[in-house]
Amino acid sequence: MTIIRADPAGIPHCTHNDKERELIHVDCASHIYPDGSVGIHNMCFYVQKNEIVALCGPNGSGKSTLIEHLNGLLTPSEGNIAVNGRSITTGEHSNLWREVGLVFQRSDDQLFAPTVLDDVMFGPRNMGMSVDAAKAAAMEALGAVGAADLVGKLPNYLSGGQKRLVSIAGILAMKPRIIALDEPTSDLDPVHSGMVENLIFDLKQRFGISVVIATHDLDLASRIADRICLVRQGSVFAEGTPAEIFYDPVLLRETGLKPPQIVQVYRAYCQTRGIQEDHHPLTIEDLMELIDRK
Amino acid sequence: MHDGGYIVSATSLSDHIPDLNLITYYAETRRTCFSRVSPWTKFSLLVLIIFLITLTKDLFILAGLYSIVLGAYAGARLPVRKLFAWYALPVIFVLSLIGIMAWNEPGNAVISFSIGGIPCILTDNGILLIIILLLKALIAVTYSLFFLMTTRYRHFSAMIYRIFPTPIDQIFLMAYRFLFLTLAMTGAILKAVRSRGGGLIHSIHMQGQMFAEIFALVFIRSFERSERVHKAMIARGYSGSFGTAVEVPALHLYEYVIIGICAALVIVVALRDTAMGGIVPL
Repeated sequence: MTIIRADPAGIPHCTHNDKERELIHVDCASHIYPDGSVGIHNMCFYVQKNEIVALCGPNGSGKSTLIEHLNGLLTPSEGNIAVNGRSITTGEHSNLWREVGLVFQRSDDQLFAPTVLDDVMFGPRNMGMSVDAAKAAAMEALGAVGAADLVGKLPNYLSGGQKRLVSIAGILAMKPRIIALDEPTSDLDPVHSGMVENLIFDLKQRFGISVVIATHDLDLASRIADRICLVRQGSVFAEGTPAEIFYDPVLLRETGLKPPQIVQVYRAYCQTRGIQEDHHPLTIEDLMELIDRK
Repeated sequence: MHDGGYIVSATSLSDHIPDLNLITYYAETRRTCFSRVSPWTKFSLLVLIIFLITLTKDLFILAGLYSIVLGAYAGARLPVRKLFAWYALPVIFVLSLIGIMAWNEPGNAVISFSIGGIPCILTDNGILLIIILLLKALIAVTYSLFFLMTTRYRHFSAMIYRIFPTPIDQIFLMAYRFLFLTLAMTGAILKAVRSRGGGLIHSIHMQGQMFAEIFALVFIRSFERSERVHKAMIARGYSGSFGTAVEVPALHLYEYVIIGICAALVIVVALRDTAMGGIVPL
């Protein structure tokens, strides 16, 4: 994959991709909020089967607005969004929540039921499952995220990390094809952050679910994403693999982001040793291997 | 706070306002014989108690009932000192209600004076009226707290779901969780005020405007949060109703017997009061 940059003149630039694998296609979509602020503008974006896409950008760049479009919570003022080939801009978005699960940034906004079990069963019940089937789906999802022991707890007494796991279980129980997570590791301690990171991997590897994450945690994005989309001022500014994007200092500077820690360490290492940056390590393991070799 | 060998959190706004967090903590963690009693039994007894205290004016029955309820509360290893602090609001409520009614009741004068030529006489019957109404209020409050603090919330909400029609059940199912969040939000704002030398009581006259702003802020934040919650519910296909899958523990045989005996006692008291000159609910 090579870096694809948006046209500097702001002309919409929708990248060509493998239509066979395509699940979501956002075509030059714009959304203007009632107060006149621009959520997204000429946004072009796609999600393919079995991939993890990270939307990276500073606060207010339009990541969350885009994610809410994917689930049908918002519809674009202009442009088109198609999920599984169905356009959601022509009024067919009523059941989009069955296909695209959305995990909100604040778990307290998502967990509203009296118990964890009731909350995780909420989605499956809305899908028309019987109580027993919904219960089975909820138990399976809680088991998959490693939170089966929380089933009888009150959401109020869960830690931030546990709430995040239960939020993901609430979506996983609905068995969507795509899960979009808004800042999945924000406000989490390193242990729970690691658990969520592994879980996002699992969603793709074990369950074959495509994942979209909106984040400004570039360390997370560099470790787990197959593809990075840099978002700036409401549109995708550039996209490419993590190695391509995060080793391009000009791109990151233009987007208002700092490179991931590993990239910074590798750069500093190369500078102090006076050696060429001929590799693009993104994990500690990769970096250690390079250092050992040199 | 250390209480009866358990470490519990105390995050109340005031010592005299029942702390929802503390109540839920006891309900979720205490394991006494009262926690194992079916919530349906405790609910049935609550109905009978309300029925009884509405019917009778007998001081001995009320005093006996209060002793039993208080004994059960203490026996469930619930915080008695906190309970007495929580009595402040019901006591103020009762006194404000009968502060006028109790004066000039027929009977033997105990206190007598006049204000601007209007005689004010507190008689023995007036004092009895205050005591009876206070006992009734304290019985209701003590048993209600006992019920809440020995019943797991999931069972409580499941009972509400099964007893009440929509939308009352929906309101109960959702309100509880957000009551916590709103309290937490209010607590956080008050902490911020206290951390800069403000306070809820001592500076309320000086900082009235500031407190008005705090509560306005809580209202606005609650409104914003409710919008986000609604959005999160829509994202999972919410279409207007949801339920709970929790089963309320069923009654054991001995619980039927207890309810039967209590119901019989209430009927006996009601019949006795009728025979003694009719029931006059107070």
